[in-house]
Formats: sequence, structure tokens, C-alpha cells
Amino acid sequence: MTDNSKVQAGVYKETLFRGLWRENPVFRLLLGMCPTLAVTVAVKPALTMGLSVIFVLVCSNIVVSIIRNLLKPHLRILMFTVTIATFVTIADLFLKAFVPEMSERLGPYVPLIIVNCIIICRAEACASKNSLAVSIVDALGMGVGFTLTLCILAGIREILSTGAIFEIPILNIQSQGGWFIPWAAMSMPVGAFITLGLMLGLVNAITKRQIKG
Amino acid sequence: MFRIKHFIKQSWLLIVVSFFFGLLIAAANAAWEGKIQQNEEDKFKSIAREMLAEAVSFETAIEKAELESAKGKKFKTDIKKAISADGKCVGWAFSCEGSGFADKIKLVLTVNAGFGKIEGFGVLSSNETPGFGNQIKNPYYRNQFIGVPAEELTLVKTGQPEKKDNEIVAISGATVSSEAVVKIINHYVEQVKKQLQSKGLISNDR
Repeated sequence: MTDNSKVQAGVYKETLFRGLWRENPVFRLLLGMCPTLAVTVAVKPALTMGLSVIFVLVCSNIVVSIIRNLLKPHLRILMFTVTIATFVTIADLFLKAFVPEMSERLGPYVPLIIVNCIIICRAEACASKNSLAVSIVDALGMGVGFTLTLCILAGIREILSTGAIFEIPILNIQSQGGWFIPWAAMSMPVGAFITLGLMLGLVNAITKRQIKG
Repeated sequence: MFRIKHFIKQSWLLIVVSFFFGLLIAAANAAWEGKIQQNEEDKFKSIAREMLAEAVSFETAIEKAELESAKGKKFKTDIKKAISADGKCVGWAFSCEGSGFADKIKLVLTVNAGFGKIEGFGVLSSNETPGFGNQIKNPYYRNQFIGVPAEELTLVKTGQPEKKDNEIVAISGATVSSEAVVKIINHYVEQVKKQLQSKGLISNDR
């Protein structure tokens, strides 16, 4: 019995960490590029987006896992989309009601979570084949992995484009008598592509070294 | 008969689940709808109050006034009357929109009580390029609109921003966004004026 529960715990741990590094949705699977590039101008919107994705991912994985034995193979994608769209709408309404400022900044990118590949990928690859508990852990791992990645990218871009992080000034900006000249390009799409590219390169380099070691 | 049975057999789960999801969304909407509307109204008021310093409360003068958008479509907006502490009308405020550089720009426009002068505009929502187009939110651009006559405005590349006339100096590097704001204002001020005149809320001789 204890052996069994140990194996179980191992599966959960493995599933959880898979999303954080080995199968990180952004750096490894290259999924969800649209929000990754679009909302990482600053940490706050990136964090809001990440939390919304975690909510939708967990809820849709729960529902899909519960109904997984009733799914008709040719109707499954339709079911996933209906499920995801429902929770995205709820998340959108929630943001509009309680954090209107963020909802405005994210604009159309909140409804666009519906077509975020990460969520449909997890529904298809994990939740429709695994038990409820595994699905929830998987959703949390992937969601947190996505959120962390978004926050790292957003942090780099925010600090270089405004000299602040989480809207708290860190570097002395030149216009206020400091030394740092903000890089306007970092707040534009160009900055997103460059930062993401460099991060992907870095992650690949680390992985290569790990394999060699 | 057989076919209907077949379809129901295939899709019963979808039908049932859709029904429950519909209920779920309806419940969420019912719970938060009031708050969402309140948020929008609060934002409108806080922007309008910035420009109409004397205003204490806002009263809807014309509900869902039908205006025509720049693209010739119908556009509905509430025209609000700003009331000061002693009950006088100190100005008018309404929201309006038009296309900007990247996305729609929504503005709150305020005009003085006699509808002779623009009191200023505030950005309700926009998605202009950070560092360029979104400078329309900056005071040095917005201040140009304070106190100018509520007539046709023109956008110029060089001029004196301090002068209170119908010439608005564009933001360098953001001509499209600067132009969009001027266009929106030009387009709606006249229409709102006519609406208020037709209702007898402001005098006709201006």
C-alpha cells in the first residue's frame, strides 16, 4: 500500500515538474506564442494572463477528465472547445468586474485564450486519457510553467523598456536625471521576438550542456 | 426516426454539457454584470471630473443619443450633464469613438455649459503604440484641447501648442494617432450640439 502511494506521489511530482521545465509550454513545446509575444510588455498584464490561463486550464482539465469516458472520438475537439470557451468567458467577466484596468490592457487577448494551443493540447494529450487527480496536477504544472515563462520575458522587457519592474522604478531613467536610457524597442513587438529568441537559445544551450554532463 | 435517434446518441453529451455551461455563464454574468457596468461608469466619471473640476454629479441628459459614426454606422452614446455643488450645469460629457492607428480609440469628451468651448478630452480606452501613439494620453497633447472653441479643429505639424486656437499640433512620430483624436472630436461635437439643440437643452443662437 505504501509502495503504491509512493509510486502515485512520484507520478504527480513527475507530472508537475514536466510543465515547469522538461515540457515547458513556451520554451519546449512552443505553444501559446500569441499571448507570449503580445502581453509580455510588463509583468502585471503577463501575470494576469498567466493566472487566467491557469484557471481555464485547471477547470477545462477537470471537466474533460470527468467526461473522458463518454467522449465520442469525432466530437471530442468540439467538446474541448465548448468547455474552454465557457471558462474563458467566465474569466473574462471576472477580470472586467474586479480588475478592469488589467482587462483593458489585455484587450482581445483574454478571449483569445479560447484558441490557446496549450489548453487544447493538455485536454487532448492528458485530461482525456488520465484520472482527475493527474489531470489537475498536469494543468497546474503546465499553467505555472507558462505563467513563470511569461513573467520572466515580461520582466526582461519591462526593465529594459521602462527601467521599472512591476511598475516599481529600479533603474534611474535619464529623463529623471539618471543614467539609463529606456529601450523603446523592447516595448514593441520587435522586443518580444528578440527576447523570446534569446531565451529559447539560452534554454537550448542549457539543455545541451545537461545532456553532455 | 432512426436518424434522429442516431444523432441524439452521438451528441447527447454535447447538448447536455452545453446546457450546463450556458447556465454557468448566465450565473457568472448575472453576478458580475452590475459591477462591470459600475466600473465603466466610474471610469467615465473620473475622466470627466478631471476636466470639469466643478462637477459634483452627472445626470443623463439624453439616453442613448443616436449619432452617426465616421463610417456611417449608427453609434449610441449617453450624453451627460455635469452638475456643480450648487445645482448649476457646468458642462456636458459624452463618450465617443473612432479608429486609431492600431485599434479603436474611445474618448470622453467634455464641453462647457454653453457648448462654446471644449473642456478637454480623456482616453477611455485605446491600444496605440507605446511610446508613440499612446502619447495622446500625455498632458502636453491633451492640454492643447482645453478651452478651444467647439468648432472644426485642424491638425498642423508645427505651431504653438500653448495657443488656444483651432490648430492642434501633432505629436511627432504619431501623426495618425493625433489625427484620429482630432477627427473623432470634429465628427461628434457638431452632432452632439445639434442633438442638444433639438431637445432645447442649449440655446440655438450659437
